[in-house]
Amino acid sequence: MNKSEKSYVSSLYPITKLVFVACLIVSVFFLYNYIYDLVCFAAMVAIAASDGKGKAYIKTILKTIFILIVLIFLMQSFLHSGTHVLWHWGILTIHKEGIWYAINLSTTLLVIGGAIALLFKITEVEDLIHSLENSGMSPRATYVILSTLQIIPQMKMKSAVIMDAQRSRGVETEGNLMVRIKAFFPSLAPLVLSSIVGTEERAITLEARAFTANVKKTCLDMPQDSKHDKVLRIVLLVLLGILIVGRIILWIL
Amino acid sequence: MDIVEVRDLTYKYPTSSDQVLRGVSLRVKKGEFCSIIGPNGAGKTTLCNAIRGLVPHFYKGDMQGEVLINGQSTMDVSLADLALSVGFVFQNPFTQISGIAKTVFGELAFGLENLGVEPDEIRRRVSRMLEVAKLQDLAERSPFEISGGQQQRVALASIIIMEPEILVIDEPTSQLDPQSTEEIFEIIQLMKMQGKTIILVEHKIDLVAQYSDHVVLIEDGSIVMDGSTDEILSDPAVLQHGTSLPQFALLGIEMRKRGYRLDKIPITEAQAVEQIGGYFTEKAVD
Repeated sequence: MNKSEKSYVSSLYPITKLVFVACLIVSVFFLYNYIYDLVCFAAMVAIAASDGKGKAYIKTILKTIFILIVLIFLMQSFLHSGTHVLWHWGILTIHKEGIWYAINLSTTLLVIGGAIALLFKITEVEDLIHSLENSGMSPRATYVILSTLQIIPQMKMKSAVIMDAQRSRGVETEGNLMVRIKAFFPSLAPLVLSSIVGTEERAITLEARAFTANVKKTCLDMPQDSKHDKVLRIVLLVLLGILIVGRIILWIL
Repeated sequence: MDIVEVRDLTYKYPTSSDQVLRGVSLRVKKGEFCSIIGPNGAGKTTLCNAIRGLVPHFYKGDMQGEVLINGQSTMDVSLADLALSVGFVFQNPFTQISGIAKTVFGELAFGLENLGVEPDEIRRRVSRMLEVAKLQDLAERSPFEISGGQQQRVALASIIIMEPEILVIDEPTSQLDPQSTEEIFEIIQLMKMQGKTIILVEHKIDLVAQYSDHVVLIEDGSIVMDGSTDEILSDPAVLQHGTSLPQFALLGIEMRKRGYRLDKIPITEAQAVEQIGGYFTEKAVD
């Protein structure tokens, strides 16, 4: 992203974005309504687009949550029983109630999954974690999260190397399911073991870099919290509060 | 003054059946470049770990004797505090990456962040260090996506930037090509010129001869030879302990055997040119 022209979204403090996403997710449970859900989703797409990430965001959704939602939609439509039969074939029956239930459930999931995906699209994980550390999270937790993010691609590369090595020793890794299952252990075991061995040296590396030194750490790229962010967070929480209280009052009445 | 003193150190890892170090005593002076040589499994790395405090703080096990850094026993100082005076670089470049920084710049900054150095000061020191270690071009690259030699330079630079008085460097070049090896030695040499004390484990004996002041030969957990570089690396006895001699020393020894009367066994190229070249010039004059 071009740093000189920061979009409004990217100028926000990561905790603000986290609060926004959390509020959105909680609100879905109180307004169990597919229209609200779809409006939320449209808003999220708009937010992503305003940060120049609309396309990437939709792509992520299609590749992940969307598939899950389609499956859940189908399962719920078939499994949920009711009185109004819409369609019937052999042992398969779709009821009107099932469809409604499935629509509501899947749009709710769309918002929950979409909100989480949005958070990670519009926030650098490093920034988010650093700001959490700023609000009192342990640096050890920070390390665990951030190093995991860095190490997963490394593990992927390593596993490719191990697969190659095992192939050169005559282990079949391609072919039908049985062949793949057989290749699973010879390729996975070295990956896990070498990672465990690497842990010792990683720990020494951290000791060598004074990770356990008893001083307050500094951070080079600490995102800055602003007054604007604080106000925004309060507004969001108040809105959520109004929603919850309103909902409870409606229930009671 | 002796900045590092090892007193009668005997140590056994929790998982080993035999003692890895047996009555090791060693003194290293401030500003000295001390190389530890010896066959594989002799206990060189364990000795490094002891000087760094990882033995016994990290590895536990039975330790007798003591290691003094600046006169203070490593037993009395926490590992984190020791890290401030003793920097440690080891063999495998891949595991010496913190795994948290996205760029080489961040990797160098990591140690200073842990020490709570102010961000502006960190940026200044990192920029300077990038220059010293010739890493400017890599500053924005991921530390995982550079070559092994570059990673080792990053690892070394990440330690040096924390400005420890003592650098313990365990086989830094064993996985590197000659070019990268040279670059690593250039940085180490620079540190020596800045007055740092350097303890290096290295198998590339010609480089040991060229750079170190003090050589210690370990075999089977005991120090069998200890003295100045000139003295040890010109001594054919080294060959009896599973270790090689610099090629120039081998040449000198062989020449002496065949009746050439060299004043001194050369151990580096420069000495060889002086000694052997000088010998033949004298002969020509005669």
